[in-house]
Amino acid sequence: MAITDHSVSASAVAEILAEKKINAVTTVPDLVQLALHDRLQGDPAITYLQCSAENQALTCAMGMYVGGLEPVVMMQNQGLFNCLNTLRSVGIDARIPLVILVGAFGREHDNLGQPLSDSSRVMVNRTRPVIDALGLPFHHIETAADLPRIGRAIDAARAGKCAVVVHFGHYLAWN
Amino acid sequence: MDTYQAAAIIHRHRGDALVTNTMSAMFAITAVSPSPLNLASVPLMGGASGLGLGLAMAQPDRHVLVLDGDASLLMELGTLAQISDVAPPRFVHFVFNNAVQFNGLANVDRPGRNLDFRALAQAAGYASAQRIDTPEALDALLPRLLDAPGPHFVELVIEAPHKFTKASPQPEIPDLQFARMGAEAQAMMEALETTR
Repeated sequence: MAITDHSVSASAVAEILAEKKINAVTTVPDLVQLALHDRLQGDPAITYLQCSAENQALTCAMGMYVGGLEPVVMMQNQGLFNCLNTLRSVGIDARIPLVILVGAFGREHDNLGQPLSDSSRVMVNRTRPVIDALGLPFHHIETAADLPRIGRAIDAARAGKCAVVVHFGHYLAWN
Repeated sequence: MDTYQAAAIIHRHRGDALVTNTMSAMFAITAVSPSPLNLASVPLMGGASGLGLGLAMAQPDRHVLVLDGDASLLMELGTLAQISDVAPPRFVHFVFNNAVQFNGLANVDRPGRNLDFRALAQAAGYASAQRIDTPEALDALLPRLLDAPGPHFVELVIEAPHKFTKASPQPEIPDLQFARMGAEAQAMMEALETTR
């Protein structure tokens, strides 16, 4: 399998978000999902907010949700580590159904197609255990075959009234 | 000016504004202005300004008032940049500046004793930034701010409470404080008819 097979199409992800009536995004600097940022930032149907830090992306998204928008939050794995208390507050205690799109920054190419737990990079191999420890759903996207998991993750967040992580294992593709 | 005096004046002028709040301002606004349009950031120091900005983006026809703490704003100072970028016109960001952390629980001096919050907001690009130290001045200012395009920033100079000492028993945090943010979010969504 080629490395590019692990880059899922940003357009395909954007289409799934649109199908699920997502109409807002809060985000922070993120190298893994650049192609999706490009799609969403230019979409007139999307309210797009660039934040300074992950805590702010989560609280702004909660405010949007309470006010009637349907946001997702975009960040990298290391950013997820940066905002665990806000994630606990918003996504567990306050029961806000936020879908958090997380990019696997720093994942070595040799790990593509292999278990995340086999990565030698701490930010890659500990992301899922941390989310599991919080008791939140974690959906990994390794190839295009996994894309249906995104819609299921959004449904799960809404049904379960909790945050859900969708984890992209490699750079998104610019198509 | 104390926290409750400031909250009472905000109550007098808020109308149907959405009010996000945290820390000492949370206790005060809850006491003097209970409403389903209040949303506390608790237990989450620093979250009030982000919640307020998100609400303002989703509900642009509403006034949004953020009742922030000084140490709380320092935790999420980047929100000044976002609020200025978005420039919600009906947005007033209050900072209750009493120069301590955990007002009413266990007060610790906050960093930045020479920090000028008003200057920070001005530099970030808020439409206006004021420092207010009397109830009378706040009472006179608020109607003007609510009529003028924002975002506005108001640093409220608040008297620090007596510090807790070893003779002061520290309270257990009740379950209510952990369920409160979600319960208030649900109540606000019902009031805004955004429940789903």
